[in-house]
Amino acid sequence: MLEGLLALLPQVIFDGLLLGFVYAMIALGYTMVYGVLELINFAHSEIFMIGAVVGVEVFRYLAPVIPNGVVVLVLALILGAIISGVMAMIVERLAYRPLRARGTTNRLVPLITAIGVSFVLQDLVRLVEGIWHNEFKLQMRLIPPLDGNFTFLTVFIQYKALILILVSLLMLVGLNYLVNRTKLGTAIRAVAQDMNTARLMGINPDVIISRTFLIGGALGGVAGVLFAVQYSTIDPYVGFLPGLKAFTAAVLGGIGNITGAMVGGLVLGQMETLAGTYLPTLTGGNFGTEYKDVIAFLILILLLLFRPQGLLGQVVKEKV
Amino acid sequence: MSATAVASALEVQSVSKSFGGLKAVNDVSLTVRPGEIFSVIGPNGAGKTTFFNLLTGIYEPDEGSVRFFGKDITGMSPDKVAAQGIGRTFQNIRLFAAMTVLENVLIGHHIHTHSSYLDAMLRTPRHLEAERRAKERAMELLDYMGLARRAGELATSLPYGEQRRLEIARALALEPKLLFLDEPAAGMNPQETDRLKEDVRRLRKELGLTIVLIEHDMSMVMSISDRIAVLEYGSKIAEGLPAEIRTNTRVIEAYLGKGAAGQAGGRA
Repeated sequence: MLEGLLALLPQVIFDGLLLGFVYAMIALGYTMVYGVLELINFAHSEIFMIGAVVGVEVFRYLAPVIPNGVVVLVLALILGAIISGVMAMIVERLAYRPLRARGTTNRLVPLITAIGVSFVLQDLVRLVEGIWHNEFKLQMRLIPPLDGNFTFLTVFIQYKALILILVSLLMLVGLNYLVNRTKLGTAIRAVAQDMNTARLMGINPDVIISRTFLIGGALGGVAGVLFAVQYSTIDPYVGFLPGLKAFTAAVLGGIGNITGAMVGGLVLGQMETLAGTYLPTLTGGNFGTEYKDVIAFLILILLLLFRPQGLLGQVVKEKV
Repeated sequence: MSATAVASALEVQSVSKSFGGLKAVNDVSLTVRPGEIFSVIGPNGAGKTTFFNLLTGIYEPDEGSVRFFGKDITGMSPDKVAAQGIGRTFQNIRLFAAMTVLENVLIGHHIHTHSSYLDAMLRTPRHLEAERRAKERAMELLDYMGLARRAGELATSLPYGEQRRLEIARALALEPKLLFLDEPAAGMNPQETDRLKEDVRRLRKELGLTIVLIEHDMSMVMSISDRIAVLEYGSKIAEGLPAEIRTNTRVIEAYLGKGAAGQAGGRA
Protein backbone atom coordinates (compact mmCIF):
# COMPACT_ATOMS: atom_id res chain seq x y z
CA MET A 1 0.00 0.00 0.00
CA LEU A 2 2.83 2.36 0.93
CA GLU A 3 4.28 2.07 -2.54
CA GLY A 4 1.01 3.05 -4.09
CA LEU A 5 0.80 6.05 -1.82
CA LEU A 6 4.32 7.16 -2.63
CA ALA A 7 3.74 6.78 -6.34
CA LEU A 8 0.91 9.26 -6.06
CA LEU A 9 2.94 11.73 -4.07
CA PRO A 10 4.52 13.85 -6.85
CA GLN A 11 1.12 14.38 -8.45
CA VAL A 12 -0.44 15.31 -5.13
CA ILE A 13 2.29 17.79 -4.36
CA PHE A 14 1.95 19.37 -7.77
CA ASP A 15 -1.82 19.74 -7.39
CA GLY A 16 -1.33 21.14 -3.91
CA LEU A 17 1.09 23.66 -5.32
CA LEU A 18 -1.53 24.89 -7.80
CA LEU A 19 -4.13 25.34 -5.13
CA GLY A 20 -1.53 26.89 -2.85
CA PHE A 21 -0.62 29.56 -5.37
CA VAL A 22 -4.27 30.51 -5.79
CA TYR A 23 -4.63 30.84 -2.02
CA ALA A 24 -1.36 32.74 -1.80
CA MET A 25 -2.43 35.34 -4.33
CA ILE A 26 -5.77 35.93 -2.63
CA ALA A 27 -4.10 35.94 0.78
CA LEU A 28 -1.85 38.79 -0.33
CA GLY A 29 -4.86 41.05 -0.77
CA TYR A 30 -6.10 40.21 2.72
CA THR A 31 -2.75 40.68 4.31
CA MET A 32 -1.87 43.97 2.58
CA VAL A 33 -5.15 45.59 3.57
CA TYR A 34 -4.80 44.23 7.08
CA GLY A 35 -1.30 45.69 7.17
CA VAL A 36 -2.40 49.25 6.51
CA LEU A 37 -5.85 49.31 8.12
CA GLU A 38 -5.96 46.34 10.51
CA LEU A 39 -9.16 45.51 8.70
CA ILE A 40 -10.12 42.02 7.58
CA ASN A 41 -11.57 42.93 4.23
CA PHE A 42 -14.02 40.08 3.72
CA ALA A 43 -15.15 41.68 0.48
CA HIS A 44 -11.82 40.56 -0.96
CA SER A 45 -13.35 37.12 -1.67
CA GLU A 46 -15.78 38.85 -4.00
CA ILE A 47 -13.03 40.88 -5.64
CA PHE A 48 -11.47 37.51 -6.44
CA MET A 49 -14.83 36.19 -7.70
CA ILE A 50 -15.21 39.24 -9.96
CA GLY A 51 -11.81 38.43 -11.47
CA ALA A 52 -13.02 34.89 -12.17
CA VAL A 53 -16.20 36.17 -13.84
CA VAL A 54 -14.18 38.61 -15.95
CA GLY A 55 -12.01 35.67 -17.00
CA VAL A 56 -15.02 33.66 -18.14
CA GLU A 57 -16.53 36.60 -20.00
CA VAL A 58 -13.32 37.46 -21.80
CA PHE A 59 -13.02 33.88 -23.02
CA ARG A 60 -16.71 33.79 -23.94
CA TYR A 61 -16.32 36.77 -26.27
CA LEU A 62 -12.72 36.63 -27.41
CA ALA A 63 -12.01 32.92 -27.73
CA PRO A 64 -14.16 32.63 -30.90
CA VAL A 65 -12.36 35.63 -32.39
CA ILE A 66 -8.76 35.15 -31.34
CA PRO A 67 -7.50 31.65 -32.01
CA ASN A 68 -4.57 31.73 -29.62
CA GLY A 69 -5.53 30.83 -26.05
CA VAL A 70 -2.44 32.43 -24.55
CA VAL A 71 -3.26 35.79 -26.09
CA VAL A 72 -6.82 35.58 -24.79
CA LEU A 73 -5.52 34.65 -21.35
CA VAL A 74 -3.14 37.59 -21.26
CA LEU A 75 -6.02 39.91 -22.14
CA ALA A 76 -8.19 38.26 -19.52
CA LEU A 77 -5.49 38.68 -16.89
CA ILE A 78 -5.00 42.34 -17.68
CA LEU A 79 -8.72 43.06 -17.72
CA GLY A 80 -9.30 40.98 -14.60
CA ALA A 81 -6.55 42.82 -12.75
CA ILE A 82 -7.88 46.22 -13.79
CA ILE A 83 -11.55 45.54 -13.07
CA SER A 84 -10.92 43.82 -9.74
CA GLY A 85 -8.35 46.41 -8.72
CA VAL A 86 -10.65 49.30 -9.52
CA MET A 87 -13.58 47.54 -7.82
CA ALA A 88 -11.50 47.14 -4.66
CA MET A 89 -10.61 50.84 -4.83
CA ILE A 90 -14.25 51.82 -5.26
CA VAL A 91 -15.27 49.66 -2.30
CA GLU A 92 -12.63 51.33 -0.17
CA ARG A 93 -13.67 54.77 -1.31
CA LEU A 94 -17.40 54.26 -0.78
CA ALA A 95 -17.55 51.93 2.19
CA TYR A 96 -14.40 52.16 4.31
CA ARG A 97 -13.03 55.66 3.86
CA PRO A 98 -16.20 57.41 5.09
CA LEU A 99 -15.94 55.37 8.29
CA ARG A 100 -12.34 56.48 8.76
CA ALA A 101 -13.25 60.07 8.04
CA ARG A 102 -15.85 59.90 10.82
CA GLY A 103 -13.16 58.67 13.16
CA THR A 104 -14.85 55.33 13.79
CA THR A 105 -12.58 53.58 16.25
CA ASN A 106 -14.61 50.43 16.82
CA ARG A 107 -12.94 47.86 14.60
CA LEU A 108 -16.11 45.79 14.38
CA VAL A 109 -17.83 48.49 12.35
CA PRO A 110 -15.66 48.28 9.21
CA LEU A 111 -15.61 44.50 9.61
CA ILE A 112 -19.40 44.30 9.45
CA THR A 113 -19.32 46.76 6.55
CA ALA A 114 -16.91 44.42 4.76
CA ILE A 115 -19.26 41.48 5.22
CA GLY A 116 -22.11 43.62 3.93
CA VAL A 117 -20.10 44.68 0.88
CA SER A 118 -19.36 41.02 0.29
CA PHE A 119 -23.06 40.15 0.01
CA VAL A 120 -23.78 43.20 -2.12
CA LEU A 121 -21.06 42.26 -4.62
CA GLN A 122 -22.17 38.61 -4.80
CA ASP A 123 -25.72 39.52 -5.67
CA LEU A 124 -24.69 42.38 -7.91
CA VAL A 125 -22.69 39.96 -10.04
CA ARG A 126 -25.56 37.48 -9.92
CA LEU A 127 -27.92 40.21 -11.12
CA VAL A 128 -25.63 41.35 -13.91
CA GLU A 129 -25.00 37.81 -15.13
CA GLY A 130 -28.68 37.02 -14.83
CA ILE A 131 -29.65 39.94 -17.05
CA TRP A 132 -26.71 39.55 -19.40
CA HIS A 133 -26.69 35.82 -20.10
CA ASN A 134 -29.39 34.44 -17.86
CA GLU A 135 -26.78 32.09 -16.41
CA PHE A 136 -25.91 31.24 -12.84
CA LYS A 137 -23.19 28.68 -13.40
CA LEU A 138 -20.62 30.12 -15.74
CA GLN A 139 -18.59 27.71 -17.80
CA MET A 140 -15.06 28.54 -18.89
CA ARG A 141 -14.54 27.97 -22.61
CA LEU A 142 -10.90 27.12 -23.02
CA ILE A 143 -9.17 27.01 -26.37
CA PRO A 144 -5.80 25.58 -27.41
CA PRO A 145 -3.12 25.54 -26.29
CA LEU A 146 -4.54 26.06 -22.80
CA ASP A 147 -6.36 22.72 -22.77
CA GLY A 148 -3.21 20.76 -23.61
CA ASN A 149 -1.24 18.59 -21.23
CA PHE A 150 1.77 16.35 -20.91
CA THR A 151 3.22 13.91 -18.44
CA PHE A 152 6.50 14.68 -16.80
CA LEU A 153 7.92 11.64 -15.02
CA THR A 154 4.75 10.42 -13.39
CA VAL A 155 3.10 13.79 -13.02
CA PHE A 156 0.19 14.72 -15.23
CA ILE A 157 0.60 18.41 -16.02
CA GLN A 158 -1.85 20.67 -17.81
CA TYR A 159 -0.46 23.65 -19.67
CA LYS A 160 -2.88 25.92 -17.88
CA ALA A 161 -1.50 24.67 -14.56
CA LEU A 162 2.01 25.61 -15.61
CA ILE A 163 0.78 29.04 -16.64
CA LEU A 164 -0.96 29.46 -13.30
CA ILE A 165 2.24 28.73 -11.42
CA LEU A 166 4.32 30.94 -13.67
CA VAL A 167 1.97 33.92 -13.47
CA SER A 168 1.61 33.63 -9.68
CA LEU A 169 5.35 33.48 -9.26
CA LEU A 170 5.76 36.59 -11.39
CA MET A 171 3.10 38.41 -9.39
CA LEU A 172 4.67 37.44 -6.08
CA VAL A 173 8.14 38.50 -7.14
CA GLY A 174 6.76 41.72 -8.60
CA LEU A 175 4.86 42.50 -5.43
CA ASN A 176 7.92 41.90 -3.29
CA TYR A 177 9.88 44.28 -5.50
CA LEU A 178 7.12 46.87 -5.35
CA VAL A 179 6.77 46.74 -1.59
CA ASN A 180 10.44 46.59 -0.69
CA ARG A 181 12.15 48.57 -3.39
CA THR A 182 9.91 51.33 -4.65
CA LYS A 183 8.72 54.64 -3.34
CA LEU A 184 5.11 53.47 -3.23
CA GLY A 185 6.10 50.33 -1.35
CA THR A 186 8.11 52.30 1.17
CA ALA A 187 5.13 54.59 1.67
CA ILE A 188 2.81 51.59 2.12
CA ARG A 189 5.13 50.19 4.76
CA ALA A 190 5.35 53.57 6.45
CA VAL A 191 1.56 53.91 6.60
CA ALA A 192 1.31 50.34 7.88
CA GLN A 193 3.77 51.03 10.67
CA ASP A 194 2.63 54.44 11.79
CA MET A 195 -0.03 56.25 9.84
CA ASN A 196 0.19 59.47 11.84
CA THR A 197 3.92 59.88 11.51
CA ALA A 198 3.73 59.07 7.81
CA ARG A 199 1.17 61.84 7.47
CA LEU A 200 3.58 64.30 9.06
CA MET A 201 6.14 63.31 6.45
CA GLY A 202 3.78 64.66 3.80
CA ILE A 203 2.29 61.30 2.87
CA ASN A 204 -1.47 61.28 2.40
CA PRO A 205 -2.58 57.96 3.93
CA ASP A 206 -5.84 57.95 1.97
CA VAL A 207 -3.92 57.89 -1.29
CA ILE A 208 -1.65 55.10 -0.08
CA ILE A 209 -4.57 53.07 1.27
CA SER A 210 -6.35 53.47 -2.03
CA ARG A 211 -3.27 52.20 -3.89
CA THR A 212 -3.02 49.29 -1.49
CA PHE A 213 -6.58 48.26 -2.33
CA LEU A 214 -5.81 48.68 -6.02
CA ILE A 215 -2.78 46.40 -5.84
CA GLY A 216 -4.42 43.84 -3.56
CA GLY A 217 -7.54 43.87 -5.71
CA ALA A 218 -5.54 43.46 -8.92
CA LEU A 219 -3.75 40.44 -7.44
CA GLY A 220 -7.13 39.03 -6.41
CA GLY A 221 -8.41 39.61 -9.95
CA VAL A 222 -5.45 37.78 -11.49
CA ALA A 223 -5.99 34.94 -9.04
CA GLY A 224 -9.67 34.87 -10.05
CA VAL A 225 -8.92 34.61 -13.77
CA LEU A 226 -6.39 31.84 -13.18
CA PHE A 227 -8.85 30.06 -10.89
CA ALA A 228 -11.54 30.17 -13.57
CA VAL A 229 -9.09 28.85 -16.15
CA GLN A 230 -7.96 26.05 -13.85
CA TYR A 231 -11.21 24.93 -12.28
CA SER A 232 -13.62 25.82 -15.13
CA THR A 233 -16.98 26.31 -13.39
CA ILE A 234 -17.73 29.61 -11.71
CA ASP A 235 -20.69 31.21 -10.01
CA PRO A 236 -21.20 34.44 -8.07
CA TYR A 237 -20.66 32.66 -4.77
CA VAL A 238 -17.47 30.93 -5.80
CA GLY A 239 -15.30 33.43 -3.91
CA PHE A 240 -16.51 32.43 -0.48
CA LEU A 241 -14.60 29.23 0.21
CA PRO A 242 -11.29 30.08 -1.51
CA GLY A 243 -11.52 33.52 0.09
CA LEU A 244 -12.06 32.06 3.53
CA LYS A 245 -9.17 29.67 3.03
CA ALA A 246 -6.94 32.43 1.71
CA PHE A 247 -7.76 34.46 4.78
CA THR A 248 -6.85 31.42 6.82
CA ALA A 249 -3.61 31.17 4.87
CA ALA A 250 -2.85 34.81 5.67
CA VAL A 251 -3.39 34.14 9.38
CA LEU A 252 -1.40 30.93 9.17
CA GLY A 253 1.55 32.78 7.67
CA GLY A 254 1.21 35.69 10.09
CA ILE A 255 -1.32 38.30 9.05
CA GLY A 256 0.15 41.55 7.80
CA ASN A 257 3.21 39.75 6.53
CA ILE A 258 3.57 39.41 2.76
CA THR A 259 6.00 36.51 2.69
CA GLY A 260 3.88 34.89 5.38
CA ALA A 261 0.80 35.08 3.17
CA MET A 262 2.62 33.29 0.36
CA VAL A 263 4.00 30.61 2.65
CA GLY A 264 0.65 30.22 4.37
CA GLY A 265 -1.12 29.79 1.04
CA LEU A 266 1.31 27.15 -0.16
CA VAL A 267 1.20 25.25 3.14
CA LEU A 268 -2.60 25.26 3.24
CA GLY A 269 -2.79 24.12 -0.38
CA GLN A 270 -0.52 21.17 0.40
CA MET A 271 -2.31 20.19 3.58
CA GLU A 272 -5.66 20.22 1.87
CA THR A 273 -4.54 18.22 -1.15
CA LEU A 274 -2.59 15.70 0.91
CA ALA A 275 -5.52 15.19 3.27
CA GLY A 276 -7.93 14.91 0.36
CA THR A 277 -5.86 12.24 -1.33
CA TYR A 278 -4.63 10.10 1.50
CA LEU A 279 -7.46 10.29 3.99
CA PRO A 280 -9.67 7.68 2.30
CA THR A 281 -6.78 5.22 1.94
CA LEU A 282 -5.35 5.74 5.39
CA THR A 283 -8.68 5.36 7.14
CA GLY A 284 -9.77 2.43 5.05
CA GLY A 285 -12.48 4.50 3.46
CA ASN A 286 -14.08 5.61 6.71
CA PHE A 287 -13.24 9.22 6.04
CA GLY A 288 -13.56 10.32 2.45
CA THR A 289 -12.02 13.15 0.49
CA GLU A 290 -14.79 15.42 1.71
CA TYR A 291 -12.99 15.59 5.06
CA LYS A 292 -9.99 17.33 3.56
CA ASP A 293 -11.06 20.74 4.83
CA VAL A 294 -11.61 19.35 8.31
CA ILE A 295 -8.10 17.95 8.39
CA ALA A 296 -6.55 21.07 6.93
CA PHE A 297 -8.28 23.30 9.44
CA LEU A 298 -7.53 20.95 12.34
CA ILE A 299 -3.85 21.27 11.51
CA LEU A 300 -4.32 25.01 11.34
CA ILE A 301 -5.97 25.14 14.76
CA LEU A 302 -3.17 23.05 16.27
CA LEU A 303 -0.52 25.20 14.66
CA LEU A 304 -2.07 28.39 15.91
CA LEU A 305 -2.29 26.97 19.42
CA PHE A 306 1.48 26.79 19.44
CA ARG A 307 2.25 29.76 17.21
CA PRO A 308 -0.60 32.24 17.57
CA GLN A 309 1.39 34.84 15.65
CA GLY A 310 1.47 32.56 12.60
CA LEU A 311 4.38 30.88 10.88
CA LEU A 312 6.33 34.05 10.11
CA GLY A 313 4.57 36.33 12.52
CA GLN A 314 7.47 36.68 14.91
CA VAL A 315 10.27 37.86 12.72
CA VAL A 316 8.23 40.63 11.30
CA LYS A 317 7.27 43.74 13.16
CA GLU A 318 7.00 45.11 9.70
CA LYS A 319 3.51 44.57 8.43
CA VAL A 320 2.09 45.39 5.10
CA MET B 1 6.80 96.26 5.39
CA SER B 2 3.06 95.80 5.13
CA ALA B 3 1.24 93.44 7.44
CA THR B 4 0.84 90.81 4.74
CA ALA B 5 4.40 90.93 3.41
CA VAL B 6 6.42 87.84 4.12
CA ALA B 7 8.22 89.25 7.09
CA SER B 8 7.19 86.26 9.14
CA ALA B 9 7.96 82.62 8.68
CA LEU B 10 5.20 81.74 11.05
CA GLU B 11 2.43 83.97 12.23
CA VAL B 12 0.14 82.55 14.87
CA GLN B 13 -2.88 84.64 15.74
CA SER B 14 -5.01 84.11 18.82
CA VAL B 15 -5.00 80.34 18.56
CA SER B 16 -7.09 78.38 21.06
CA LYS B 17 -7.89 74.72 21.54
CA SER B 18 -10.05 73.03 24.13
CA PHE B 19 -10.45 69.38 24.99
CA GLY B 20 -13.73 68.91 26.77
CA GLY B 21 -13.75 71.64 29.36
CA LEU B 22 -9.99 72.00 29.44
CA LYS B 23 -8.50 74.89 27.54
CA ALA B 24 -5.18 73.40 26.48
CA VAL B 25 -4.10 76.39 24.40
CA ASN B 26 -5.64 79.74 25.13
CA ASP B 27 -5.42 82.70 22.79
CA VAL B 28 -1.75 82.35 21.90
CA SER B 29 -0.23 84.67 19.31
CA LEU B 30 3.35 84.82 18.19
CA THR B 31 5.45 85.63 15.17
CA VAL B 32 8.58 83.81 14.10
CA ARG B 33 10.83 85.60 11.64
CA PRO B 34 12.55 83.84 8.77
CA GLY B 35 15.90 82.39 9.82
CA GLU B 36 15.14 82.68 13.49
CA ILE B 37 15.74 80.10 16.19
CA PHE B 38 12.65 80.44 18.32
CA SER B 39 11.97 78.45 21.46
CA VAL B 40 8.72 77.70 23.21
CA ILE B 41 9.20 76.81 26.84
CA GLY B 42 6.97 76.27 29.82
CA PRO B 43 6.38 73.93 32.74
CA ASN B 44 5.07 70.42 32.14
CA GLY B 45 1.48 70.48 30.96
CA ALA B 46 1.74 74.07 29.76
CA GLY B 47 0.29 73.08 26.38
CA LYS B 48 3.51 73.21 24.38
CA THR B 49 3.03 69.98 22.46
CA THR B 50 -0.66 70.74 21.87
CA PHE B 51 0.47 74.07 20.50
CA PHE B 52 2.88 72.30 18.12
CA ASN B 53 0.12 69.94 17.07
CA LEU B 54 -2.07 72.90 16.21
CA LEU B 55 0.65 74.31 14.00
CA THR B 56 1.36 71.04 12.18
CA GLY B 57 -2.28 70.20 11.46
CA ILE B 58 -2.69 67.32 13.89
CA TYR B 59 -5.37 69.34 15.66
CA GLU B 60 -7.48 72.05 14.16
CA PRO B 61 -7.61 75.20 16.29
CA ASP B 62 -11.04 76.12 17.70
CA GLU B 63 -10.17 79.74 17.08
CA GLY B 64 -7.38 81.73 15.55
CA SER B 65 -5.23 81.31 12.49
CA VAL B 66 -1.79 80.10 11.48
CA ARG B 67 0.09 81.59 8.58
CA PHE B 68 3.22 80.11 7.10
CA PHE B 69 5.23 82.55 4.99
CA GLY B 70 2.03 84.47 4.44
CA LYS B 71 -0.06 81.45 3.49
CA ASP B 72 -3.00 80.47 5.65
CA ILE B 73 -2.47 76.89 6.81
CA THR B 74 -5.11 76.86 9.54
CA GLY B 75 -6.93 73.53 9.61
CA MET B 76 -4.90 71.97 6.80
CA SER B 77 -4.35 68.23 7.13
CA PRO B 78 -0.91 67.23 8.45
CA ASP B 79 0.29 65.89 5.10
CA LYS B 80 -0.62 69.15 3.38
CA VAL B 81 1.09 71.17 6.11
CA ALA B 82 4.19 69.03 5.68
CA ALA B 83 4.07 69.54 1.94
CA GLN B 84 4.07 73.32 2.48
CA GLY B 85 7.59 72.91 3.86
CA ILE B 86 7.22 72.22 7.55
CA GLY B 87 9.25 69.35 8.95
CA ARG B 88 9.12 68.12 12.51
CA THR B 89 10.65 65.77 15.01
CA PHE B 90 8.95 64.24 17.99
CA GLN B 91 9.21 64.35 21.74
CA ASN B 92 9.11 60.56 21.80
CA ILE B 93 11.14 59.36 18.87
CA ARG B 94 8.83 58.17 16.14
CA LEU B 95 11.07 56.55 13.58
CA PHE B 96 9.77 53.73 11.41
CA ALA B 97 11.21 50.98 13.54
CA ALA B 98 11.14 48.16 11.03
CA MET B 99 12.89 50.19 8.35
CA THR B 100 16.50 50.97 7.72
CA VAL B 101 18.02 54.36 8.41
CA LEU B 102 18.07 55.08 4.68
CA GLU B 103 14.44 54.07 4.18
CA ASN B 104 13.37 56.39 6.98
CA VAL B 105 14.95 59.30 5.18
CA LEU B 106 13.42 58.18 1.87
CA ILE B 107 9.98 58.39 3.48
CA GLY B 108 10.74 61.99 4.32
CA HIS B 109 11.64 62.55 0.69
CA HIS B 110 8.45 60.88 -0.52
CA ILE B 111 6.71 64.00 -1.83
CA HIS B 112 9.77 64.99 -3.82
CA THR B 113 10.25 61.67 -5.56
CA HIS B 114 8.36 61.88 -8.80
CA SER B 115 7.64 58.69 -10.63
CA SER B 116 4.22 57.35 -11.49
CA TYR B 117 3.07 53.89 -10.48
CA LEU B 118 3.08 52.80 -14.07
CA ASP B 119 6.71 53.91 -14.28
CA ALA B 120 7.44 51.91 -11.16
CA MET B 121 5.76 48.75 -12.45
CA LEU B 122 7.56 48.92 -15.76
CA ARG B 123 10.82 50.07 -14.20
CA THR B 124 11.20 52.79 -16.80
CA PRO B 125 14.43 54.80 -16.92
CA ARG B 126 12.48 57.73 -15.48
CA HIS B 127 11.49 55.64 -12.50
CA LEU B 128 14.98 54.28 -11.92
CA GLU B 129 16.39 57.78 -12.21
CA ALA B 130 13.86 59.18 -9.72
CA GLU B 131 14.59 56.40 -7.24
CA ARG B 132 18.32 56.85 -7.69
CA ARG B 133 18.13 60.58 -7.13
CA ALA B 134 15.97 60.10 -4.03
CA LYS B 135 18.56 57.70 -2.65
CA GLU B 136 21.39 60.06 -3.46
CA ARG B 137 19.65 62.92 -1.71
CA ALA B 138 18.89 60.73 1.30
CA MET B 139 22.53 59.70 1.52
CA GLU B 140 23.62 63.35 1.36
CA LEU B 141 21.35 64.18 4.26
CA LEU B 142 22.58 61.21 6.27
CA ASP B 143 26.10 62.34 5.58
CA TYR B 144 25.17 65.84 6.66
CA MET B 145 23.88 64.55 9.97
CA GLY B 146 26.88 62.23 10.36
CA LEU B 147 24.90 59.04 9.85
CA ALA B 148 26.03 57.89 6.42
CA ARG B 149 27.80 54.79 7.70
CA ARG B 150 24.58 53.71 9.44
CA ALA B 151 22.46 53.83 6.26
CA GLY B 152 21.82 50.10 6.04
CA GLU B 153 21.09 49.48 9.70
CA LEU B 154 17.68 49.23 11.28
CA ALA B 155 16.60 52.59 12.66
CA THR B 156 16.03 51.19 16.14
CA SER B 157 19.54 49.75 16.37
CA LEU B 158 21.02 53.24 16.55
CA PRO B 159 22.05 54.78 19.86
CA TYR B 160 19.65 57.35 21.22
CA GLY B 161 21.48 60.49 20.14
CA GLU B 162 21.79 59.16 16.60
CA GLN B 163 18.10 58.32 16.46
CA ARG B 164 17.40 61.94 17.30
CA ARG B 165 19.70 63.05 14.51
CA LEU B 166 18.04 60.59 12.15
CA GLU B 167 14.70 62.21 12.93
CA ILE B 168 16.20 65.52 11.92
CA ALA B 169 17.64 64.03 8.71
CA ARG B 170 14.21 62.58 7.90
CA ALA B 171 12.57 65.95 8.52
CA LEU B 172 15.19 67.61 6.30
CA ALA B 173 14.33 65.23 3.47
CA LEU B 174 11.04 67.08 3.16
CA GLU B 175 13.17 70.04 2.12
CA PRO B 176 11.40 72.22 4.65
CA LYS B 177 11.65 75.93 5.20
CA LEU B 178 10.76 75.53 8.83
CA LEU B 179 11.68 72.84 11.28
CA PHE B 180 9.78 72.05 14.48
CA LEU B 181 11.88 70.26 17.04
CA ASP B 182 9.85 68.83 19.92
CA GLU B 183 12.18 68.47 22.92
CA PRO B 184 15.19 67.47 20.83
CA ALA B 185 17.50 67.29 23.83
CA ALA B 186 15.22 65.09 25.94
CA GLY B 187 17.15 62.16 27.32
CA MET B 188 20.46 63.28 25.86
CA ASN B 189 23.74 63.31 27.74
CA PRO B 190 25.73 66.58 27.82
CA GLN B 191 27.94 65.61 24.86
CA GLU B 192 24.92 64.76 22.76
CA THR B 193 23.24 68.02 23.75
CA ASP B 194 26.34 69.98 22.72
CA ARG B 195 26.34 68.26 19.37
CA LEU B 196 22.64 69.02 19.00
CA LYS B 197 23.24 72.70 19.66
CA GLU B 198 25.87 72.77 16.96
CA ASP B 199 23.55 70.92 14.57
CA VAL B 200 20.72 73.37 15.13
CA ARG B 201 22.98 76.36 14.54
CA ARG B 202 24.44 74.71 11.46
CA LEU B 203 20.98 74.02 10.00
CA ARG B 204 20.11 77.64 10.31
CA LYS B 205 23.42 78.91 8.99
CA GLU B 206 23.98 76.49 6.14
CA LEU B 207 20.44 75.65 5.08
CA GLY B 208 18.80 78.93 6.01
CA LEU B 209 16.13 77.12 8.00
CA THR B 210 13.79 78.73 10.47
CA ILE B 211 13.73 76.60 13.60
CA VAL B 212 11.08 76.44 16.28
CA LEU B 213 11.77 74.26 19.24
CA ILE B 214 10.12 73.13 22.42
CA GLU B 215 12.70 72.39 25.03
CA HIS B 216 13.13 71.68 28.70
CA ASP B 217 16.89 72.02 28.86
CA MET B 218 17.25 75.66 29.91
CA SER B 219 20.95 75.94 29.26
CA MET B 220 20.35 74.84 25.69
CA VAL B 221 17.37 77.13 25.19
CA MET B 222 19.20 80.12 26.61
CA SER B 223 22.31 79.57 24.54
CA ILE B 224 20.82 78.94 21.10
CA SER B 225 17.51 80.82 20.94
CA ASP B 226 17.14 84.21 19.34
CA ARG B 227 13.83 84.66 21.06
CA ILE B 228 11.73 82.70 23.50
CA ALA B 229 8.01 82.44 24.24
CA VAL B 230 6.81 81.05 27.54
CA LEU B 231 3.54 79.16 27.95
CA GLU B 232 1.79 78.44 31.21
CA TYR B 233 -1.60 76.73 31.49
CA GLY B 234 -2.04 77.17 27.75
CA SER B 235 -1.50 80.92 27.74
CA LYS B 236 1.53 82.88 26.67
CA ILE B 237 2.90 84.67 29.70
CA ALA B 238 6.07 86.14 28.22
CA GLU B 239 8.05 86.57 25.03
CA GLY B 240 11.45 88.08 24.47
CA LEU B 241 15.19 87.68 24.23
CA PRO B 242 16.82 85.00 26.37
CA ALA B 243 18.19 87.63 28.74
CA GLU B 244 14.74 89.12 29.19
CA ILE B 245 13.12 85.77 29.81
CA ARG B 246 15.79 84.85 32.32
CA THR B 247 14.93 87.81 34.49
CA ASN B 248 11.18 87.86 33.86
CA THR B 249 9.41 87.59 37.21
CA ARG B 250 6.33 85.83 35.86
CA VAL B 251 8.43 83.20 34.14
CA ILE B 252 10.45 82.50 37.25
CA GLU B 253 7.26 82.18 39.24
CA ALA B 254 5.79 79.84 36.69
CA TYR B 255 8.75 77.55 36.96
CA LEU B 256 9.73 77.85 40.58
CA GLY B 257 6.59 79.09 42.30
CA LYS B 258 5.78 82.47 43.77
CA GLY B 259 8.48 84.11 45.78
CA ALA B 260 11.22 82.48 43.81
CA ALA B 261 11.99 85.54 41.74
CA GLY B 262 15.53 86.65 42.19
CA GLN B 263 17.07 83.19 41.97
CA ALA B 264 16.89 83.33 38.21
CA GLY B 265 18.81 81.40 35.61
CA GLY B 266 20.11 77.89 35.52
CA ARG B 267 18.00 74.86 34.80
CA ALA B 268 14.33 74.92 35.48
